[in-house]
Amino acid sequence: MKSDSGTQKLFLGLFFCGLALATFVLCLYLFSLSPKEAFQAIADSFARIREELFLSLWQTLCMVFLSTLFSAVIGFGLASVMIITGPQGLAPRPAVYAALDAVVDVLRSLPFIILIIFIMPLTRLVMGTAIGTLPTVLPLTVAAAPFAARIIEANFLEVDRGVVEAARSFGAGIGQIIFRVLLPEALPAIILNIAVLAIALLGYSAMAGAVGGGGLGDLAYRLGYNRFQNDVSVWCILVLVILVRCIQSAGNLLYRRLR
Amino acid sequence: MIEVSGLEKRYGGKAVLKDITFSVARGEVFGVVGHSGAGKSTLLRCFNALEDYQAGSLKVMGREVKDLDRAGRKQLRRDMGMIFQTFNLMGSKNVFDNVAFPLEIWGIAREKRRERVMELLELVGLADKYKERVQSLSGGQKQRVGIARALALSPKILLCDEATSALDPKTTIAILDLLEAVRRELNLTIILVTHQMEVVKRACNRMLLLDKGLTQGIGKTDSLFLAPTPDLKKLIEDEFTLIPTGVNIRLWFPREISRNAVITGMARALDIDFSIVGGKLERYLDDVRGFLIINVDDRHLERVLNYLQEQKLFWEVMDDEI
Ligand SMILES: Nc1ncnc2c1ncn2[C@@H]1O[C@H](COP(=O)(O)OP(=O)(O)O)[C@@H](O)[C@H]1O
Ligand SMILES: [Mg+2]
Repeated sequence: MKSDSGTQKLFLGLFFCGLALATFVLCLYLFSLSPKEAFQAIADSFARIREELFLSLWQTLCMVFLSTLFSAVIGFGLASVMIITGPQGLAPRPAVYAALDAVVDVLRSLPFIILIIFIMPLTRLVMGTAIGTLPTVLPLTVAAAPFAARIIEANFLEVDRGVVEAARSFGAGIGQIIFRVLLPEALPAIILNIAVLAIALLGYSAMAGAVGGGGLGDLAYRLGYNRFQNDVSVWCILVLVILVRCIQSAGNLLYRRLR
Repeated sequence: MIEVSGLEKRYGGKAVLKDITFSVARGEVFGVVGHSGAGKSTLLRCFNALEDYQAGSLKVMGREVKDLDRAGRKQLRRDMGMIFQTFNLMGSKNVFDNVAFPLEIWGIAREKRRERVMELLELVGLADKYKERVQSLSGGQKQRVGIARALALSPKILLCDEATSALDPKTTIAILDLLEAVRRELNLTIILVTHQMEVVKRACNRMLLLDKGLTQGIGKTDSLFLAPTPDLKKLIEDEFTLIPTGVNIRLWFPREISRNAVITGMARALDIDFSIVGGKLERYLDDVRGFLIINVDDRHLERVLNYLQEQKLFWEVMDDEI
């Protein structure tokens, strides 16, 4: 079974490598370049854009990492309150739950680009300025935290009620149940969902970049689109593809480790 | 140990426990029996304050459960272990960590924890499996982990909610034997909730029969089953149907009287024919008891009954509506 899927992967990999090679050769033919000239062109393009590319990558990483971290922490807090005060919770508080429920859903229904503009005054107040990589983390977090809250709440609800009941039966309090029962039991699923959220934030960060946050999306837009430097766009896309793969693989790896 | 009087529990407007009164003595194995939905679990969950109750009194070790504050409830739960039909172990932890969990909750130091957990796993016979993930265990082994976990804080009372209902008969017996062994060794009081009649018969000194939140019977297990009330009879779903002609008489055999002696003796003394139409031998706690159903002709009925009366046997003329 295992070696089977291993072989399959190998063949797939070879297939795509072959495809890429064929495309490359085709391009060479179409633009009547020698392979050497082609590599030279690629190297030149990379050298020209290298510094900006790495700066943008760094900005993107900052935005995605920080906003994922903050929204996961805030989402966890919100989800904990919701699971405790919810209809099936340990200490039902219908009013609290209804209020949180409404806030979370309203925030989730705002298109991100609107949200950024909408909370600019708040961003300026908190961060001093609304323009730049770090200030952009705020709208990103505000946009993602309600998603994280819903996801984590759903993962908490998945935890067997009997396990919670068992913990209660030997005297665990609400805090202990959240941190020592719900969190460890739901953690693998939460990790997978957080990876998905981080990838979504990667997309959002490209939008945020366009209104002053910098990052790969901004770079592709500024140089690639506005100045017709298509090679810049291609580099940006390449880096984004690698980033997405890395995030998802890290999530899967952690999931398998924890499960 | 536990005193319940006039206990009432409502969910919204719906009463699920009505006027329940009984008490459980130290060291007893007390059964709570009834069909699904009778309110057994709810009753059990009132004991360790997982549920509140609306009227009546429920005293555990002298303390009224309703009046306990948060710390009191926590202490109460320390004094009562609980095991479950679905075991309710944490899938994210291995056997050792599951048993250690209550100790962690109560802030017991690591070294002590380790010692206690290994001692408990030894007790339930799983010491060699302490590193296994709980998913890889069989049902019986999972319940053993559940028992070890429930005993971790050295409770005085063990609450069992359908603890054997997910297990096959052989494993059920093994778990019941384990419960009895730990009861003896640790001087526990056990409340055993179940819908399985075999389990109560085998394990419980006394029992409470619950139906739709009402008490249908309470008393010693053997006398309840040996002389069942109509309600109990309905609940235990007697599998003996009637033979059309003649009269069926059910005879019970208390421990002093040998079955064979009675049957052959009666045949000889009365010189009549009768047939044995059914019977059942069952294990009650520590000895085997049973009953026989005999079918006699109407003509002989009076003589037979007189004879049974003389012999001081328990008997009953069975009516048709069982
Ligand atoms: N949280 C709840 N809310 C409302 N009704 C409940 C709740 N839990 C149990 N009940 C009702 O109480 C009755 C008794 O349930 P339960 O104690 O679980 O029965 P048993 O354990 O004997 O099968 C059932 O009719 C059930 O529908
Ligand atoms: Mg139940």
